[in-house]
Amino acid sequence: MANQLYQDRAQKIKDTINFENKSVTTCYMGQAAPAAHMGVKMKDFAMNPVINVKTTLDYIKEIDAITSVDCLNMSVNGMRSDHGLPMAWLSKIKMPGRELPDDSLWQVEETGVLNQEDYDIIIEQGYDVVFNRVLPQLLDLNELQESVDYQQQNGQKNAQLFVDANLPAVNSGFASPPFEVLCGGRSMSKFFMDCYKIPDKIEKAIEVMLPGSVQGMLGSVNTNIGNGSWVGGWRGASALVSPKIWNRLVWPGMKALAQALIDNDHIATFHLDQNWDRDIERFLEMPAQKSIINTDGMTDLRKARKILGEHTAIMGDVPAPLLATGTTQEVKDYVNCLIDDIGPKGLFIAPGCDAPANSKFENMVAMFEAANNWK
Amino acid sequence: MVKLGEMLANLEMDELMEAVQKELDQGTDPVEILKDCEAGMVAVGEKFSAGDYFVSDLMMSGEMFKEVGEMLEPHLAGKTGESLGKVVLGTVEGDIHDIGKDLVYIMLKSGGFDVIDVGVDAKPEAFVDALKESGAPVLALSCLLTTCYDSILNTVKAVEAAGLRDQVKIIIGGGPTDESVVTYTGADAVGDDAQSAVRICKEMM
Repeated sequence: MANQLYQDRAQKIKDTINFENKSVTTCYMGQAAPAAHMGVKMKDFAMNPVINVKTTLDYIKEIDAITSVDCLNMSVNGMRSDHGLPMAWLSKIKMPGRELPDDSLWQVEETGVLNQEDYDIIIEQGYDVVFNRVLPQLLDLNELQESVDYQQQNGQKNAQLFVDANLPAVNSGFASPPFEVLCGGRSMSKFFMDCYKIPDKIEKAIEVMLPGSVQGMLGSVNTNIGNGSWVGGWRGASALVSPKIWNRLVWPGMKALAQALIDNDHIATFHLDQNWDRDIERFLEMPAQKSIINTDGMTDLRKARKILGEHTAIMGDVPAPLLATGTTQEVKDYVNCLIDDIGPKGLFIAPGCDAPANSKFENMVAMFEAANNWK
Repeated sequence: MVKLGEMLANLEMDELMEAVQKELDQGTDPVEILKDCEAGMVAVGEKFSAGDYFVSDLMMSGEMFKEVGEMLEPHLAGKTGESLGKVVLGTVEGDIHDIGKDLVYIMLKSGGFDVIDVGVDAKPEAFVDALKESGAPVLALSCLLTTCYDSILNTVKAVEAAGLRDQVKIIIGGGPTDESVVTYTGADAVGDDAQSAVRICKEMM
């Protein structure tokens, strides 16, 4: 049974999405940020789920002891990046202590495991045929099984640690739309060329993949931890693709995934990297007060608020460079200015995209302090 | 000659390739064909700066320009027109991202620069060696990770230590770079995108 503070904070998440929050909601996101501050080698943090969960929890608790951290953007389960991310992007992940130096950050390596013929195979035989062929090229299946076993044995126990620390999460689920999966699998340059040369084929492949994406996403939401799911928008950003590609190949998939979440009483959190200004009004197509746009500092939130009004909550968007190199005063000024301009209702103050590995601890505190003290 | 540059600027891939082949068959000077296509790339850059084109359009035009270059290569025999100057380009140590760097490469190349690409995860000494060997007055550093700001810093310091800093302007670019990173690393400028990299490099020459 969660205590009162946990329940109050969980309620605040709901209130914020409904634009009924009485103060700004502070929201933690920083998958790599804890390691350095807690004196843990990135290799151990990234490769060992036990160390990852403990270090992350201790780090957030340290901030929460200074100034309130109302919630987490994404629940923490310690899943290794090289086991989780290949499913989303069909790419290899280089890890610290393995392919990279011990204190390096993990990095995505697009190896282009898909070829043009794979679109036909997906259309004719289904996505699983291709997925099962390429997965062994991207990770060690035995290690993946160990990771899955760990989650089955420890997932609930780890989740309870965050409940006990009064840290509810907005999201526990994750969806990478088919556009993003294919983009990672083909590699960005080749995939974008395909989008110009053979859009019909890609559109059909996306249609075939979408039901499986919806099913996988709904299965990943754990309502005991966080009632929402990310719907990823990375390479499909408005700044990256032409309107023709976006309208036909990006948005339909994202919208279908988000609608499926909403139909099942979950929160749809559009996790948006890069700049989405051009298409921001399209988020009005989602039902009112059921979704969040989670941006990284590149989308114009003043414009977004003006267009979206109280239709869609905003989560963001303290830029990564500011958290890494700025002063505490600069961070506070950024947060205060943002809240002044777009108002506290329907607003989660969070790092843009993800607090980087070299975020200064004092800047993380300053970000949340400014939000909590805003009047 | 048909308007090859317009075809490139309109991203008409098949039409362009067909037209280039036709021009070659008719004996048109390949340098003229190349110049026309370079003008098309400039038009693409202008459309990008105006917000009418997006990164995928830059990539598509880059691919078209590359394919035209491959068609023309056997006919050029070293004649490629005047170069605007040399640029050493690479992704800094600790960072393996190549997409942004490659896009800058193609935009600089089609913009008339000679580009020396030292690759990804490049150590400071690799940049310094390339600068010494080429005599390039501009160094372009790509960085996609905030954790690699120090790699930019170390590269700038290595250029200083090699006694080249007075002769070399340094531009940085990539997702998490901005003016604050210019200040932190001692570089000279930051490019917001591939097109602005071309503009800044021209200013630096």
